Amino acid sequence: MTRPGLPRIDLGQINSVVRLEMKKILFARRGIWIYVLALLPLVLFTAYDFQASREQARRRQIANQSQRPLTYQDLLTVKSGMTNQEVIALLGRPALNFHWREQRAQGPDSFTDVAHERYHYSDGSNDLFVELSDGKVTDANIQTGNSLGEDSIVFASVFQFFYLRLAIFFGCLGIFMNLFRGEILDKSLHFYFLSPIRREALMIGKFLAGLLATCAIFLTSEFLQIAVFLWHFSPTVRDLYLYHNHGLEDSAAYLGVTALACLGYGAFFLVAGMLFRNPILPAAAILIWEAVNPFLPTLLKQFSIIYYLKSLCPVNIPSPPGTPPLLSLLISNSDPVAAPVAILGVFIMATLALYVSSLQVRRMEINYTSE
Amino acid sequence: MAIYRRSYASYSGALTPAWSRCLVLFRYCRQNLFRSKLQTGFFVLCFFYPLLCLIGVYLAHNLSFLERLGAARNQFAQIDNRFFFAFVNVQGTLAFLLTAFTGPGLISPDIANGSLPLYFCRPFSRAEYVLGKSSVLAILLSYITWIPGLVLFAVQASLAGAGWTWDHLWIAGSLVLSFWIWIAILSLLAMALSAWVKWRVVAGALLLAVLFFGAGFAQAINGVMRTESGHFFNISYLIATIWKTLFRMDVDLPISATEASVALLIYCAVCLLLLLRKVRAYEVVQ
Amino acid sequence: MNDQILFENVSKFYGEILGVNRVNLSIPRGITSLVGPNGSGKTTLMNLMTGLIRPTRGRIQVLGCRTDEPEKLFRILGYSTQFDSFPKGLTGYQFIYSYLRVGGRDSQDAEQLAWQAIERVNLAEAATRKIAGYSKGMRQRIRLAQALCHDPRVLVLDEPLNGLDPLARSEMIALFRAAAEQGCHVIISSHILHEVDMISDQVVLLSTGYVVAEGQIQSVRQEILEHPAQILIRCNRPRDLAAKMMESGHTIEVRIHNDERGLLIKTRDADGFYLMLNQMAVNGIDIESVAPADDDVNSVYEYLIGNEEVVR
Repeated sequence: MTRPGLPRIDLGQINSVVRLEMKKILFARRGIWIYVLALLPLVLFTAYDFQASREQARRRQIANQSQRPLTYQDLLTVKSGMTNQEVIALLGRPALNFHWREQRAQGPDSFTDVAHERYHYSDGSNDLFVELSDGKVTDANIQTGNSLGEDSIVFASVFQFFYLRLAIFFGCLGIFMNLFRGEILDKSLHFYFLSPIRREALMIGKFLAGLLATCAIFLTSEFLQIAVFLWHFSPTVRDLYLYHNHGLEDSAAYLGVTALACLGYGAFFLVAGMLFRNPILPAAAILIWEAVNPFLPTLLKQFSIIYYLKSLCPVNIPSPPGTPPLLSLLISNSDPVAAPVAILGVFIMATLALYVSSLQVRRMEINYTSE
Repeated sequence: MAIYRRSYASYSGALTPAWSRCLVLFRYCRQNLFRSKLQTGFFVLCFFYPLLCLIGVYLAHNLSFLERLGAARNQFAQIDNRFFFAFVNVQGTLAFLLTAFTGPGLISPDIANGSLPLYFCRPFSRAEYVLGKSSVLAILLSYITWIPGLVLFAVQASLAGAGWTWDHLWIAGSLVLSFWIWIAILSLLAMALSAWVKWRVVAGALLLAVLFFGAGFAQAINGVMRTESGHFFNISYLIATIWKTLFRMDVDLPISATEASVALLIYCAVCLLLLLRKVRAYEVVQ
Repeated sequence: MNDQILFENVSKFYGEILGVNRVNLSIPRGITSLVGPNGSGKTTLMNLMTGLIRPTRGRIQVLGCRTDEPEKLFRILGYSTQFDSFPKGLTGYQFIYSYLRVGGRDSQDAEQLAWQAIERVNLAEAATRKIAGYSKGMRQRIRLAQALCHDPRVLVLDEPLNGLDPLARSEMIALFRAAAEQGCHVIISSHILHEVDMISDQVVLLSTGYVVAEGQIQSVRQEILEHPAQILIRCNRPRDLAAKMMESGHTIEVRIHNDERGLLIKTRDADGFYLMLNQMAVNGIDIESVAPADDDVNSVYEYLIGNEEVVR
């Protein structure tokens, strides 16, 4: 009764599993939250982009309204105690000038009038607010505009502390734990187990589907984040950053780290989804393990994905002054490893996890009633 | 035509009064909750810190005895608002973890197994159902939060005397209010998530994610937008703000307690809306 | 023995709970029914046979294949389980097609086989609709199609007639018979004993995880020597016949019908009884009909399981 021409195995079968699983992962209604996780930083950077563009336009407008073009050095010349005449002599008439009068009490029945003024100058990139009382400068406050250096540190912080440790972490948790555990809860895993496919091939197919889906979602988001992050800077600044200031390499590193994070966390959550009925415990354990990584001895650090990923992150985040020592330790990467070692480390960790998965999938039984 | 003798008679005994009917759910849920050894163990562990505090209060009032043993006076904490604030923080965190264990299992099995119609075909409203289920968490969390808090306050009051008690009576009020706000938020959040995702385990993971991810997202907003408004997405920060205000802690707060309260009320409203949508006697299958 | 399904001293425990215990079975070609009350171990036996669960002890072989090698086993075996759940978002056709592709069939082959199977279970019209919108009977049929689609040599069907209307039932029974006639091993579990009785070549009776009897229905029946055969006789003088039968020593119990036109006899020696009955007929008792009252699965089942629940 069996048809001639035995079914193909391995690659063709793995491909079929990947296609079937990709559809389930990418188009499942219950997986919408993963898109939300991936797109939240993009929304955030878009909002910032919009705000920064508006700010820039406003500064340029103020600079254009100035009597003469100003430089940042010009803005620095204004000091407390100067008279309004001296300020105007240095910077010209301000583009925006607010003034009001204050009746200040001198005694029970006597008041004096105090004249207040605020001059607003801009060099097109930075703002200078000069506060004057009775014609004398009381405060000269420079608000610097967006600088690529500062923004790239903010971008690196969001990438390391939000995108990598939370968005990708929870996204991988949702997708990879669902590959087997979700099907057990849906009571549909047995259909795979009733197909003439090696269990290991099924596991690899599912893992590849998860990896492709997470990479597609998180790499797309990361790529768009980089694009949006650079959008509001002038083409000159962008070119300078991308082609002369390691911008391209940094962007490639971010994308590479994202892909490696999907690989590493994916492999871990795949095996966790097979071994544990309740994902809360392993998820919380891995989250805590990754969080306390900086405080662990070097030997133990190596058994963590974030240890390797942090070493591959292109921008070092400096601790702000006054940061508590424990938090500084969390921010800084005190013990980085070389990039090839870090990449190899993630691959070894993922391979180990996949090996355990392959043993586990062979032992898996269908017993939905115990769930 | 066949004529059968009618042998069925409806129940004519006493009924549970309508006002306490929702507590029937509590009775049965409590039995289920303590079947897990891990959960029971964690529940017991939650009493460890209150016990430690109790010892601390006792020792603080027996310094002469300790000094004779060679301990320095300043080694022992002063029993004031800071002491009770620390207590609220520790027990609040434990309450969250206990909710992550127990909360998701309250509604999700009923929805996943399609048993909601069994509840609602009886004289039992949706509000009573939600109230009954939330009473499970409320009562359970009360055991480890404001009840030991008040016991601690009572012990301190009895040892410190009437003067101290009168001056610090507001702390008792703050304890109860702080914990009740937290219990209400945790219960609503746990039940809404458990009703939304149906799967108990996923609901638990989602509860963890809401807290951790919310905190991370709040920091990201603050960092990128150079603002403090991101804190509105961080539920733990919002509740900490309210607690700090209630315990009169002398710290600068980027957002006021009123703003934090309004934000938490909005979260509660969203949770209630979710529950309203999901807790129904029928399910639309598309 | 590559032509049989073999269970050698197979036991399965779920923790401390017994699934099946010390099962030794050899299932030949044809239709074999697994019969037993709820919790007797029918589904466990099927899951063991298909490798969905592993035995705690013992060995299982399906036509020479080990059950822990799904890549070989499911080329010759199709299993329609009792789990009434499906992967989300698929139509009936996509469901069959996808799993054929996972099994290694190329696109054209999978498409052809999928449609053939769908037509065999009379579901062609609904094949392009989502399974989530199927009725219970349709879901049962699409599961059968999934088990049948690759023309397996062994068909394992867990309660396959559940949820089907009478017409669909007879169609499916015909399908199983046709498969058996082509040399397939068809293993069916069912609570509907009447249908099992009609379609089975062999029965395996299970109770609380133990196989209590196996073989052809008649031969199982004969092996139960300690249980008497029941024979229903319609005649004009039942009291006379009863008296003579009791004298003979073969008969252990006689019940006369209320209408005084028939009697039910329990005997330990059915062959001896039938010989004696012939003599009675010759001696003037007018016998209208003689029929065995218990030579079906249900009665055998009742005898063997004793006072346990009888499933109807």
